[in-house]
Amino acid sequence: EEGASRIVLPGDVVFGLAAQAQNKVLRLGSGLSQDADRVVAIKAGRLNHAKSKLWVEGSQKRYIPSAEDSVIGIVIDRRAEEFLVDLNAPVLGLLPILSFEGATRKNIPNLKEGAVVYGRVVKAHRDISPALSCLDASGKGSGYGPLKEGYLFECSTGLARSLLGTPTYPVLEALGKSLAFEIAVGVNGRVWVKSDAPATTVLVSNAIINSECLSAAQQHILVQKLLQAAK
Amino acid sequence: MAKREDDLRTPGELLGLASEFNAGRGSYCHDGKIYASLVGIRHLIEAKQGSDDLRPTIEIRREKERDAVPEAGSTVTAKITKVQARMASADIVCVGPRAVKEKFTGIVRQQDVRLTEIDKVDMHSSFRPGDIIRAEVISLGDSRAYYLSTAKNELGVVSAVSVAGMPKFFLVSTKSATMVAVSWQEMQCPLTNQREPRKVAKVVT
Repeated sequence: EEGASRIVLPGDVVFGLAAQAQNKVLRLGSGLSQDADRVVAIKAGRLNHAKSKLWVEGSQKRYIPSAEDSVIGIVIDRRAEEFLVDLNAPVLGLLPILSFEGATRKNIPNLKEGAVVYGRVVKAHRDISPALSCLDASGKGSGYGPLKEGYLFECSTGLARSLLGTPTYPVLEALGKSLAFEIAVGVNGRVWVKSDAPATTVLVSNAIINSECLSAAQQHILVQKLLQAAK
Repeated sequence: MAKREDDLRTPGELLGLASEFNAGRGSYCHDGKIYASLVGIRHLIEAKQGSDDLRPTIEIRREKERDAVPEAGSTVTAKITKVQARMASADIVCVGPRAVKEKFTGIVRQQDVRLTEIDKVDMHSSFRPGDIIRAEVISLGDSRAYYLSTAKNELGVVSAVSVAGMPKFFLVSTKSATMVAVSWQEMQCPLTNQREPRKVAKVVT
């Protein structure tokens, strides 16, 4: 819990619990594990702490489900009470058929294999398949649900988190000034883009994919170049 | 004691008269006579002191002890192998006090975990893979698994290891983290003092 965020590797001891004050409540987020009297990192990445939560943020291609994450899933199959959803993770997610806005027993969403959904991970644990929902915690839709049409591509989990983070990702800011498009980002490394013209969709997708290792200034230049070329 | 070969009976063999004997396990009464229904050794059990019926009971018992097999109503010890949204799978290890020779699979369904609020049962808060449970066999189930129930106070998780004590592939934790029951819903890890939810069995000592 010392100072600014630092890079940790799997196996690094983050701190020993015995040395800390006894009465503090500390929540361990993803990438950390408690081994008897010490907290150890089990993922490579940057160690962050905010309020009383400690977690490791790394960038991978594979997504490990964690509660409260917003993800983009692809429907694989339908079971009696839930959809099986691929999350680009080691296990398939389970999305109950009634966990959609306006869904009732008589009005079940008709999602076929290959349908794209934007959902929220309700419960994730190493022993179970992650439970998903297309409703927020209070029961409303608030943007979750099937994503119709548009274009879906994959990126690293780190880039996905940057796209969703604050301050606004420079590429998105620059694109938003000149173009009109819809975008949904899943922390499981998937991005969905939709706009009226295919050329716009292609431009937006290219800009996002190529911006991962660029600084803010470089990202603005990238966008300018792409917009110029499109004219 | 008579030689064992002499006492070996086969099904249909006449054992005695119903007026002189009681038909016990492995034998039956027909037309006033007692016949054997199993292959085995004949045993005579004296009548209980003070009972009205003074006739001894004839029993036919198999020569060898049969392997333990779960039957409806028997209490079994099982190890949870998989936890899913609406059921948990377990390997039956013991039937009563006897260990089984070959593995049997059992399933605990969501509605059979406990007696109250069965539609609100969260399987993951009741069992975790690796837990040892005491359960009762409800039925022989289907060809894949027996149906088990933990819907009694004395049934449920008997022994469980906490997350802290789970072997991780690169960390070797030599301390034992077998959890201690705190209530019928929670167990506590001795290493980290963290509580984990389980459907705990009330072990009567």
